[in-house]
Amino acid sequence: MRALDAARLAFALVLLSPAAHAAEAAHDIKGLYLMTDYPAVTVRPGTTTNISLRLQNYGLAPQRYQLSVAGVPSGWTATLLGGGQPVGAAMPAPDGSVALQLRLDVPAGNDLAPHTLTVKAEGQGTTAELPVAVSLAKELPAKLSVKSSLPSLRGSPKSNFDYTLSIKNDSGRNLVASFAAEAPVNFETSFTEAYGTQELSSIPIDAGQSKDIKLKVRPPTTIDAGHFPVKVTVKAEDASASTELALDIVGQPQLQISGRDGLLSARAVAGKQSSIPIVVTNSGTAPAENITLAGTAPSGWKVTFEPATIERLVPGKDGEVQALITPSDKSLAGDYQATIRATSRGENASGQFRITVGTSTVWGMAGAGVIGVALLLMLGAVARFGRR
Amino acid sequence: MRREGSPFRGLSTVFVKELADHLSSIRMLMLELLIVFTALAALYGAISSLRQNTAEDPFLLLRLFTIDKAPLPSFVAILGFLIPLMAIGLGFDAINSEHNRRTLSRILAQPIYRDALLMGKFLAALATIGISLAALWLLVIGLGLIFLGVPPGGEEIARSMVFLVVAIFYAGVWLSLAMLLSIVFRSPATAALVSLGIWLFLAVLWPMLAPALAQAIAPADPRYALLGLNDPATAIWTQELLRLSPNDLFGEAMLAVLSPTTRTLGPVFLDQLRGAVMGSPLPFGESVMIAWPQTVGLIAGTIVLFAFGYVLFQRQEVRA
Repeated sequence: MRALDAARLAFALVLLSPAAHAAEAAHDIKGLYLMTDYPAVTVRPGTTTNISLRLQNYGLAPQRYQLSVAGVPSGWTATLLGGGQPVGAAMPAPDGSVALQLRLDVPAGNDLAPHTLTVKAEGQGTTAELPVAVSLAKELPAKLSVKSSLPSLRGSPKSNFDYTLSIKNDSGRNLVASFAAEAPVNFETSFTEAYGTQELSSIPIDAGQSKDIKLKVRPPTTIDAGHFPVKVTVKAEDASASTELALDIVGQPQLQISGRDGLLSARAVAGKQSSIPIVVTNSGTAPAENITLAGTAPSGWKVTFEPATIERLVPGKDGEVQALITPSDKSLAGDYQATIRATSRGENASGQFRITVGTSTVWGMAGAGVIGVALLLMLGAVARFGRR
Repeated sequence: MRREGSPFRGLSTVFVKELADHLSSIRMLMLELLIVFTALAALYGAISSLRQNTAEDPFLLLRLFTIDKAPLPSFVAILGFLIPLMAIGLGFDAINSEHNRRTLSRILAQPIYRDALLMGKFLAALATIGISLAALWLLVIGLGLIFLGVPPGGEEIARSMVFLVVAIFYAGVWLSLAMLLSIVFRSPATAALVSLGIWLFLAVLWPMLAPALAQAIAPADPRYALLGLNDPATAIWTQELLRLSPNDLFGEAMLAVLSPTTRTLGPVFLDQLRGAVMGSPLPFGESVMIAWPQTVGLIAGTIVLFAFGYVLFQRQEVRA
């Protein structure tokens, strides 16, 4: 009971701390005391706990005190630490104290019976001892919690999914909480400040405070429609918390346009209709309905499509239409550019085609005819005027 | 009296003899030296300006033909000016000198028809010009290789081959004309003077006269002048009149073949250019198609002038 008295005294001393120095001399206390702030603690089996101790000397000559711990249950390990290393003895100065720590390694087990350990300091003629009551509990009150106000979001594969998470530190200490997200493969996740762009991996939280962070999830754009879970785990020292989030991805058509075999060039003759095969591909995740095709070409050109619309294109499939292009009969030889677009309810794709206009070979034949006529004239002259 | 056997018997004899005469004559040597030195000067200008300008060009070899550096005109322009001189120099005394030396009746006493004589002389002169042009062409490619260090691509070689062929037919027009005049005029000096006169007129005066004539035929609409534009009708007339000159035909054909970005040789309306990809080279076949009408003009001109001269020669009295 003497130790308890000493604890009470220490408590009183803490309360009276502004006047502590003056009051200390006034009290007529003498002797050696082994003290702790909390002589009865609760620990969880399978963990290690440190209990702070103090060996206080009031008015005694300095001497060596042998330290020991009694009443340690079998399987437990109790170590006395001083200055960070195991110690076997201590020597407090007169009216001074030595800080010690009792480290308890409690093995995992189902035995939840309370135990009392006694720490002893034995010198020549003076002894101090401190009983520490250790009770065991399976569940300790949560030290960390994480919550999301909107845990389930919906969008297309192209959208960003932003979750606001609030992390609360319920432990008695200031913590640095680190977080990680477990998302399906190829999903990109990043944590940022609630109102900032800097990416984070951990955040310091004061005791009793909570902080908001933002989790940004970007699904791969090729993902199929579906429901995808994301698990967020927050860890700080020995405490951890987790929450489940979810993405609902709805499909979206995505059109691509090109020529056959990916060719984006074609040949045409001025004033003559030529047909260019156009391939429309749906590389999205939902079928595209009612795709209409249109073309922009230089002035005087005619562009029509056969057929003009594609009724339905399921994802991963492609449809072919023929673009019938008639360059104006005044267009020059060489390259012109035409844009061909496919539109399906807000989703569209366009491709620029380079069309090489060639001149009709009719004039080439006419030229050859002119030369032929000249040659005939020559032959006629030879036949008519040839002489000996 | 009808002829017996092939009209071309003896053609090869005349051809070989004339070719040998041409190639060993002082006149030919002087003409060749004139052309080679002016062409070399033009080429030197082109090479030095190309070496300073290191812009990437897929047709570097062709630039050698077309690039000019003041005060010298480009290689092609110099050839366009000097090829007629060479052709006239080889053809102006083809027939009348035989008359004057009284050798014509002697030649025709051999088993050689007049057809073969005229054709042989024409082909020999054309072959002489062809040989010198081919040598010049090889010179350009060789100098390009030495000074630019870029091996010519297949299309460049093809385009410059077209240049060679068109240049030979261009020479053919002038050669036919010079031979025609040598048949018409008994004095070589007259024939030379007349053909040189025609050459100077078409090469120097005609480019100035044609726009004036076009203005007279189709006066420009003042509304176009107010907008600062050319009247398309006048422009078309100018071009059509200019095309009467073989020099212009040669220049246009060379522009189409040696500058692959040329898309047309006539006047261009703005709406024809809408949507056009500028600066992209035309395929070889399309360039040749653009140059084809001009080439046809040169080839047909050669044949028609030759046929005309042939008819006159056949009807001529040669024994006097």
